[in-house]
Amino acid sequence: MAEALAVETHGLTKRYSTGVLAVNNLDLRVRAGEVYGFLGPNGAGKTTTLRLLSGLLHPTSGTAVVAGAAPGSPASLARMGAMVETPAFYPYLSGRDNLRVIARYASIPKARIEPVLKLVDLSDRARYKFKTYSTGMKQRLGVAAALLKGPDLLILDEPTSGLDPQGTIEMRALIKELKTGGRTVLLSSHLLNEVELTCDRVGVIAKGKLVAEGTVDELRARSGGIALLVRATPLDQARRLLESVLKPEQVRVDGSALVLSVDPSQAASINRRLVADGVDVSELRVSEQSLEDVFLQLTENPQGPKA
Amino acid sequence: MIASFRAENIKTRKRWANWILVGILLAWIILLTYLTFFLVVKLSPNSIQGPVPASVLKRSLFPENFVPTVLRAAASIGAAIMLIFGALSTASEFGWLTVQTILIQKPTRAGVLLGKLLTLGLATLLVGLAMFAGAALASYAAVTLDGSSSAWPAWDVMVKAFGALVLQLAVWTAFGAFLGIAFRSAAAAIGGGLTYIFVGEVLLGNLFRTTPIVKEVLKFLPGVNGDAITAAFPVTIRETGATTQLVTAGRGVVTLLVYLVVFTAVSLLIWQRRDVGGS
Repeated sequence: MAEALAVETHGLTKRYSTGVLAVNNLDLRVRAGEVYGFLGPNGAGKTTTLRLLSGLLHPTSGTAVVAGAAPGSPASLARMGAMVETPAFYPYLSGRDNLRVIARYASIPKARIEPVLKLVDLSDRARYKFKTYSTGMKQRLGVAAALLKGPDLLILDEPTSGLDPQGTIEMRALIKELKTGGRTVLLSSHLLNEVELTCDRVGVIAKGKLVAEGTVDELRARSGGIALLVRATPLDQARRLLESVLKPEQVRVDGSALVLSVDPSQAASINRRLVADGVDVSELRVSEQSLEDVFLQLTENPQGPKA
Repeated sequence: MIASFRAENIKTRKRWANWILVGILLAWIILLTYLTFFLVVKLSPNSIQGPVPASVLKRSLFPENFVPTVLRAAASIGAAIMLIFGALSTASEFGWLTVQTILIQKPTRAGVLLGKLLTLGLATLLVGLAMFAGAALASYAAVTLDGSSSAWPAWDVMVKAFGALVLQLAVWTAFGAFLGIAFRSAAAAIGGGLTYIFVGEVLLGNLFRTTPIVKEVLKFLPGVNGDAITAAFPVTIRETGATTQLVTAGRGVVTLLVYLVVFTAVSLLIWQRRDVGGS
């Protein structure tokens, strides 16, 4: 049976009138009920993609289906809630009145307002004007607005952006809570630990292209997640030797150590070669690549194979 | 569209800037147009002689003339205020980025904008009503304080005048809303719009009014057509320096209606097609 998809894009491309190719032939599949992390460095095309999925931008080419309908259509919008880029509200209205405005646009009974204010812990400050809100409160109001429709699909663009550590922790807890009831959450971020802590699957985008997709563990494994870490003296001699024995791209200098993208079973033979060549080996151990390593590897070399 | 209209209702009512604009408009009519002029005419020494005696001049403030007075206000300060009102309503959505918040709710893009324009239309109607009532009250106060008598215009004249007033205000509101959408900046929309009204139509239009080619162009401009409608409701006193109208009142009404439709249609077209966000 085909898996239910909350978001599906085929060859989605957006080239701005300035000539900038922000999204390039993107094929994205977000399964219903999962928290999907959309990961990429600043300027990779994350927000442009979310704008395309929300119907705010018209694609140059390609197609997308969001919550079962075309992006930006009333059928799609009725089933999705989104906070794209920054929480944007009327500064002269209170938090509650801003939600009243949105409820009226979305034809939602105003009885929905108080529960979502409570959920994001803004009930006490809802009567104050939006312009007096802190960054954290603005973000929470943004999430409240996105939740107002009780959407099947929630799109959050960098929801912890600008938050202090306490606010970040609270927002992450809230995102985990939002997953309940089979809701799909599409979360964009450039913060790796955020994605690692909150998401079921991750898509990595770089220069407008999806360069990898899978669970965090899958990404680690597919990017040569297990490596050998070698501390040796002299380091330069060890590097030259290993580059001649292995492929040069399998050897990477990381500070005062070498990181080898090889099977750990080769550890003993590599140790023998180094010692035979007069290199002192002070440390040789298996190293699991961090998500940062994977991320850098993927985004610095976006031409690499898609996982 | 109805959902958007209901949402716009909250935004428009609760925005202080809108009330300030209405306050300025009413203060202008009551304090400057009526009170100041009344005091000048009433308190000026008899030794000062003008082409029209003060005893005649003050009749322009009385109920018999409140229709042309309020229509003239609509063509000057009314045009400026409604242009700002329309521009703020649309351009602020881009300035605050709220355009992306409202476009990701349920209604279509066209529905969102039509609801906004419907709200602007209703607000324009209410502003017209306030101007009309304010001018009527001020003229009643003027004739009462002067101890004179004056007849009110006939009902059918007042109804036509109210229609003319609302039509002129609506065109400038729609123009402001269009500029707000086109420029996506309140400052640019208001600056550009006011420059057009006061430098383009009023200053240059009057300076070169007799130049044949300019005269032909002026016949198609909203201000000139609005003036032609206003001129169809003349004051009961003899005026000096009154300008000849370039078009008839009937043509003025048709031209303004065309402007109303064009501004609305072009605004919708841009709103519908343009990307929101990104560069």
